[in-house]
Amino acid sequence: MSLIKYESFVREPLVDGEKTYNQVTEDIVYTIEAKPTRLWYIGFYISIALLLFGVYSLYRDVTYGIGQWNLGKTIGWGWDITNFVWWVGIGHAGTLISAILLLFRQGWRTGVNRAAEAMTIFAVICAGQFPIWHMGRVWMAFFVMPYPNTRGPLWPNFNSPLLWDVFAISTYFTVSLLFWYSGLLPDLATVRDRAKTKLRKLLYGIASFGWSGSTKHWQRHESLSLVLAGLSTPLVLSVHTIVSFDFATSVVPGWHTTIFPPYFVAGAVFSGFAMVQTLMLITRRVMNLQDYITLGHIEAMNKVIVLTGSIVGCAYLTELFIAWYGANPYEYDIFFKYRIAGAYGWSYWLMMTCNVISPQLFWFKKLRRNIGFTFFMSIVVNVGMWFERFVIIVSSLYRDYLPSSWSLYYRPTIFEIGFYLGTFGLFFTCYFLFSKYFPVIAIAEIKSILKTSGESYKEKMADLENLSVEEFYAKTHDHH
Amino acid sequence: MIKQQFEIPAGYKKWTYGLLAVGIVAFIAGFIFLGMSKNEHDQTRFWAVLLQNSVYFLLVCNAAMFFICAITLAHGGWSVAFRRVPEAISAVVPVFAILAFLVFLGLILGHRHDIYHWVDKEAVAHDKILTWKKGFLNPTFFFIWTIITLCVWTFTGMKMRKLSRKADEGPMSAEDAKRYTWNNTVWAAIFVVFFALTVGSTIPWLWLMSLDAHWYSTMYSWYTFASTFVAGIALIALFIIFLKNHGYLEYTTREQLHDVGKFIFAFSIFWTYLWFSQFMLIWYANIPEETIYFKIRFQGPYRGFFFLNFIINFCAPILILMTKGSKRNYAVMTFMSVAVILGHWLDFYQMVMPSTVGENHNLGWFEWGILALYIGMIMFFTGRALTKAPLVAKYHPYLKESIIHHT
Amino acid sequence: MDIRKFVVGSFDDEAVLFPAVKKVRKAGYKIHDVYTPFPVHGLDGALGLRDTSLHTAGFVYGLTGLTTALSFISWILTRDWIQNYGGKPHFSLPAWIPIMFELTVLFSAVGMVLTFCYLCQLAPFVKKHVFHPRATDDLFVMVIECTSKTNVKETEDFLAAAGAKEVNVQIAEAGWWLGRYDQDRHLFDNKSETVTA
Repeated sequence: MSLIKYESFVREPLVDGEKTYNQVTEDIVYTIEAKPTRLWYIGFYISIALLLFGVYSLYRDVTYGIGQWNLGKTIGWGWDITNFVWWVGIGHAGTLISAILLLFRQGWRTGVNRAAEAMTIFAVICAGQFPIWHMGRVWMAFFVMPYPNTRGPLWPNFNSPLLWDVFAISTYFTVSLLFWYSGLLPDLATVRDRAKTKLRKLLYGIASFGWSGSTKHWQRHESLSLVLAGLSTPLVLSVHTIVSFDFATSVVPGWHTTIFPPYFVAGAVFSGFAMVQTLMLITRRVMNLQDYITLGHIEAMNKVIVLTGSIVGCAYLTELFIAWYGANPYEYDIFFKYRIAGAYGWSYWLMMTCNVISPQLFWFKKLRRNIGFTFFMSIVVNVGMWFERFVIIVSSLYRDYLPSSWSLYYRPTIFEIGFYLGTFGLFFTCYFLFSKYFPVIAIAEIKSILKTSGESYKEKMADLENLSVEEFYAKTHDHH
Repeated sequence: MIKQQFEIPAGYKKWTYGLLAVGIVAFIAGFIFLGMSKNEHDQTRFWAVLLQNSVYFLLVCNAAMFFICAITLAHGGWSVAFRRVPEAISAVVPVFAILAFLVFLGLILGHRHDIYHWVDKEAVAHDKILTWKKGFLNPTFFFIWTIITLCVWTFTGMKMRKLSRKADEGPMSAEDAKRYTWNNTVWAAIFVVFFALTVGSTIPWLWLMSLDAHWYSTMYSWYTFASTFVAGIALIALFIIFLKNHGYLEYTTREQLHDVGKFIFAFSIFWTYLWFSQFMLIWYANIPEETIYFKIRFQGPYRGFFFLNFIINFCAPILILMTKGSKRNYAVMTFMSVAVILGHWLDFYQMVMPSTVGENHNLGWFEWGILALYIGMIMFFTGRALTKAPLVAKYHPYLKESIIHHT
Repeated sequence: MDIRKFVVGSFDDEAVLFPAVKKVRKAGYKIHDVYTPFPVHGLDGALGLRDTSLHTAGFVYGLTGLTTALSFISWILTRDWIQNYGGKPHFSLPAWIPIMFELTVLFSAVGMVLTFCYLCQLAPFVKKHVFHPRATDDLFVMVIECTSKTNVKETEDFLAAAGAKEVNVQIAEAGWWLGRYDQDRHLFDNKSETVTA
């Protein structure tokens, strides 16, 4: 086992400033121990207000029925399913950052993984609301579960993608939660052990499950994280794949296309990263964490955004091409008459601009490292990704096979919008509470990379850097 | 002392020339007995086999360059110790590009409508769908885009290899190293973007999907990419193990092999994911225009290959490469790499053959002979490329990270 | 209760800790545990701990999930309540793959986390003795267990010589108990003396 701490001098440091292990703890736990700022309260109350509006909208929905929404004859899925897919998509970045980037050994994930995982969980909670409340008689929602019942027993249809979704989303939620919380245990113990007030000691004592930092426990913890990462990687792919199956298994022009699974996954990662970017830019500023979420982190995430945006673009063009190449008149019409033109054509072009064209600006290093521009783009991308789902759903549905059932122009009611805004309230309420009561950055993980990637430590590596390869090899392998 | 310069061992030479001899004999015999045969089925078989092998191995070798570029873009340091290996494999691309191009010339100028139905003008005129597709499926576009593609792959690949040689010259200052990394990134980005425009979309449509000129699947190109990428990584693993066994690549350890094994493992699952998604969606929707592709493969004479494909390319890697020990074991990794390369060769076999030779498929002397020819060529040209540069880019800014790499 | 006597040495640098672990083990002391604020790579090896087989358990749980899903769904759709869904065969495996996969992952993940918590004795309201409150902050805390033959003074000196910044003797419960971190249960007379090195 080599004790040599080395990282190439070409790499940007991941932790800026002179930091000791203790300083890392102080910086990150500070927000938990201090009183929230005024800004925090303002944000929190706005979120609560939005949440209450959402609750009222749902109250209308449950008491008066789905008629409160403007779903039409052919558009049986409108804003609700658009929002569902949008939120699930956002819920992909967290697991991607923690799992896939862990497996790919991208050191910069340590700065953002905790918050991204939390965001994942909140986004999935928001996503889950839409199919549940869309059921109408929501008190019968448990019918989707396969359990011995007095109706036969009549089982749900295991061949239906909608049931796959039930399994996929609930599994994803559970596994993400476990992954997130098992990672939190050591950090909660850190908060516990330095707590000054009795209440904090009590609560963090309960929450940290009696974590002690024993070497054996760390060994198991690492094995657990690695396997959970390995499991989460195909899981995160499967979730949006199954969401795409909701559409792609059906024989509906514009929906039935084989590229949907990987393309949905790429889109999900794309929008998820944009949301992480939005939150991180605010978090680092409000909580003074610029040393841990550096420009390098932001640039790395922008690179992922341009990558996934381009993959999505490749898929859009593939679909468009095959709609022509396939020579199927129905497919052709959907794409060339109702998507790029037609009543909802504006939404297609909005989607193209936001998702494919504008992210290409991130090819420029200057723009990738520009905070204001990044913040603007992170919102643009999420607008675009919302419209992607809207385009897929509405433009394929509003022209049915029977012209007699072609629907009127679909506009959401205030309660459809209210429900959507309500999930924003829910999401941000959860995020604000999280950022107040939990370490927003994985303390232990930052410490484990500190001496290889911390700014002040990198300067001390000059000796190693100046060694010739042979000397370096000899030095690092002398114990054999 | 570290052995920097690769010298081709006698045993390797013997195998290379042996395979080449077998391959050339098979090719000549194939040309005489199949290509010039009066029997149309024999002719189709001759050309289909050439097409399958030339496209498959071209894409596999090009995948090695994609591997380098993807890692360069991600600023991966771990693989620098063996980076010259995928570079040498990618040096085969120009050769295979020419060979593939010759095959295309033969197919299209020879009006092989039994392979590419759309080259038959008469048939196209009477076929509404093919007439509709004429804008894409026509010899002119086919040639122009194929030539551009092959040239750009060759050129950008050469550029990346040339850049890599700069790291042999001498120590770099911090400024130089940063500029060097940046240059690498720029060219890798150009390669990857073009790769997406070709392998990630148009090229598999043009070269392979158009074998079933009526059929279409949006997934097809990404599926082809996944298939050749995992085989490309397996090829890299084989050469690493070979070089290690001959005392080269001292800085490459089991740690790197372990990570290469993870790649094979992960991308085998990724391939299966695309394989399943494409199959399941077509099976589920059950539209005759689409299911026709799987009818012959899943229910017809290729049923055996269909399941063999799944077993070799999914069941074997996932079960065998799951443990840490197996990914660090030379013998297991060699076995799995060979299996994966052959498995995806079979995958291509069942992509090409059902659409061309159809029911008259025959996995016989000619198929194995041409496979031997291509393996011999890979060994010959990769081996030659390996001798031309030091095996380790000594002054690469990430080399030291690669040396202390630890999984 | 399992109350024992420990000599506790705290290090502030993992580069000092590693040689110290080697020396202490060579000298024949019995290391109870080393508490660190983050996973120190290779420390488990240095302490002579065997590899964990948690991942093997995960594999077994995964297989259980897979089998559960396949047998449950096939029993329902081919025996218990046969229905024609879209003209597909009753045993339509491709359509079951998604749920089979999800249950594999679910069983594996939940099973592993529970096993992890069981093995490490982690649960709400579980309490363990904190040898040093900064073991979760910036100190690497080596705990040596005293046997009847141990010379405590010598051990302390040995640790200090090995580079420990802070050395003391604690009498503590070695296992876990149900308790709250805001309350100290006086199980025993906790005498500790600190020697600063």
